[in-house]
Amino acid sequence: MTRTMPKFRNTITLWRAIVALIVAAGLYATYARFALGFAKATNLTDPQPWGLWVGLGTLCGVGLSAGGFAIAAAVYLLGFERYRPVLRAAVLVSFLGYSSVIAGMMYELGLPWRIWHPIFMWNRASVLFEVSWCVMLYSTVLALEFSPALVEKIPWAGLRTWYLRWHHEILVGLVMAGVVLSSLHQSFLGGLYLLTKGKLDPLWYSPYLTTLFFLSAIPAGLAITVMALYLSVRSLNVKLDPAILSEVGRVIAPLLALYGIFRVVDLSKNGALPYLWMWREETLSFWLEIGLFVLAPLVLLNLPKVRNNPQSLYWTCATVVGGFMANRLNVSITGLQASSGVYYVPKWTEFAATLMVLTLAVLVFRYAVIYLDILPKKIPPQLRWTAKGAAAEA
Amino acid sequence: MERTKAILVDITKCIGCRSCEQACKQVHGFPMETEAKLSPTALTVIEEHDGKFVRKMCMHCQEPACASACLVGALKKTSAGPVTYDAGKCIGCRYCLVACPFSVPRYEWSKLVPYVKKCDMCAARQANGQPPACVEACPTGASTVGWRDEILEEAQRRIMAGGYVKRIYGSEEVGGTSVFFISDVPFEQLGFAAPPQQPMPVLTANALGDVPTVVLVGGGLLSGLYWITQRRQSVALAEGKIAVPRPTDKERS
Repeated sequence: MTRTMPKFRNTITLWRAIVALIVAAGLYATYARFALGFAKATNLTDPQPWGLWVGLGTLCGVGLSAGGFAIAAAVYLLGFERYRPVLRAAVLVSFLGYSSVIAGMMYELGLPWRIWHPIFMWNRASVLFEVSWCVMLYSTVLALEFSPALVEKIPWAGLRTWYLRWHHEILVGLVMAGVVLSSLHQSFLGGLYLLTKGKLDPLWYSPYLTTLFFLSAIPAGLAITVMALYLSVRSLNVKLDPAILSEVGRVIAPLLALYGIFRVVDLSKNGALPYLWMWREETLSFWLEIGLFVLAPLVLLNLPKVRNNPQSLYWTCATVVGGFMANRLNVSITGLQASSGVYYVPKWTEFAATLMVLTLAVLVFRYAVIYLDILPKKIPPQLRWTAKGAAAEA
Repeated sequence: MERTKAILVDITKCIGCRSCEQACKQVHGFPMETEAKLSPTALTVIEEHDGKFVRKMCMHCQEPACASACLVGALKKTSAGPVTYDAGKCIGCRYCLVACPFSVPRYEWSKLVPYVKKCDMCAARQANGQPPACVEACPTGASTVGWRDEILEEAQRRIMAGGYVKRIYGSEEVGGTSVFFISDVPFEQLGFAAPPQQPMPVLTANALGDVPTVVLVGGGLLSGLYWITQRRQSVALAEGKIAVPRPTDKERS
């Protein structure tokens, strides 16, 4: 054990080099943002006051965290026991998603040390006020939902039992609160853009932006959960029945179809159909989004060959996630470009900061799966990190 | 309703001398260089369109999008008319910049402690009985200030006298503003925005009004679902269809 540990630490693999590079770039971006200011760290301007940090960090971050509440509701409220093995992983993905959103806020807000202001300074007429409360409350709910994974590792049996019993009492209430808060929150992120009437391109502006954001978040959240599960099985010593992935994959298709139908009806009701065939950058972005998010996945998920092959399913889910991100970036950037009169391309430091936050979230997920009981494992986890475990094995 | 103050800008009378810009910079202590566009140090500017001089500034909407957007209530429509900004509350989210249908608020992008900057119609001066600095400085009477109803009547009177486009810009836009423009050239040619006619907060009010419904109906629905699930489980258990109760989190670990 003692001989192998240093070897484990010192190996420089390709992935570790990439992570180091991302963190280095992210740290510089952090320095630029806080020591040099927005003007040096971003390409944001008055006509384009929200850029990549809102579009990718917040809108995609929250949207892709929708898997947790969906799976929790399926298991606890609908009694779909077959999803239970992946429940903790789904909740962890959501919790890390929300944590990265909050970390991203520190970059995005001009005065981040005032992030607590909405707790005491209320404006019930503001969609963003509701969003901020949903983030606060739902992050708390997710932390509580996830807490047993940490608490069960506490060595004091009395404390452990007391907490887990208490947790069991409130669990269903937590799950219900989570579903309501998530639904409100996902919807209200779209609701933020209701005020851009006259500015946002007709391909994306709709009085039903709230519904559209909600409907698109659930399949996207499930898709990223499938991706996380697949990667865990591939590289983290996790033993999972591939049928569960197919089960989740099977749910994504009807959800995407529902979204697609709602979107088409909505576009025609808003008189936006003529814009579908115009030769413009907006229209091209629109088709990219719809192709990736709705059309391609619907075709692919219909093929049993794809659904039942974990690797194909993984790439199909990647397509869904890509299309979802295209949608959020289209609403927050592409669709507002023409009316703003500026062509916004994020500065590299904007990418670097977001990438660092996401990379750290992935790292935490990785180590949580390795050291905690998140997913069923091929060998007991203790063997990997405690001497006692190693002794027990011997 | 209380009487509120409003500004009328008569584009036919503006000679482009930029006295308003200078006066504005002076009362705010900004550097005196002339700027082409609104900026954190230029809260009003004169833009030239088609040989006409058009003054840009905050429109002080009756129901401002920015004030409804601001999550901490830093932006407020005061009872005296101006839309004011409380820098002490602002967290720098910049949703007001996104929301403003006239694209007026500016952000101090190059500062390390950045705030939003926009015209507040010299609310403090007006509270002391003084006119806004820009209006006071105008040598031709192109900008005038007064009670909103009287200012609207005055605009009407001038349009009726002839020589103007028959439209008061700001009387209908976003449900009405507190800065009005009258012109002898159609507003579309002068680069004026064409925002929605209804008050902007209406756009989000419906969604926000749904919150209690979602919480109540959603909560009820979920409790119902949970009850059904539990019931089915206990029935199955009683009928011997499943042998053991489902595992709890405790047993999992």
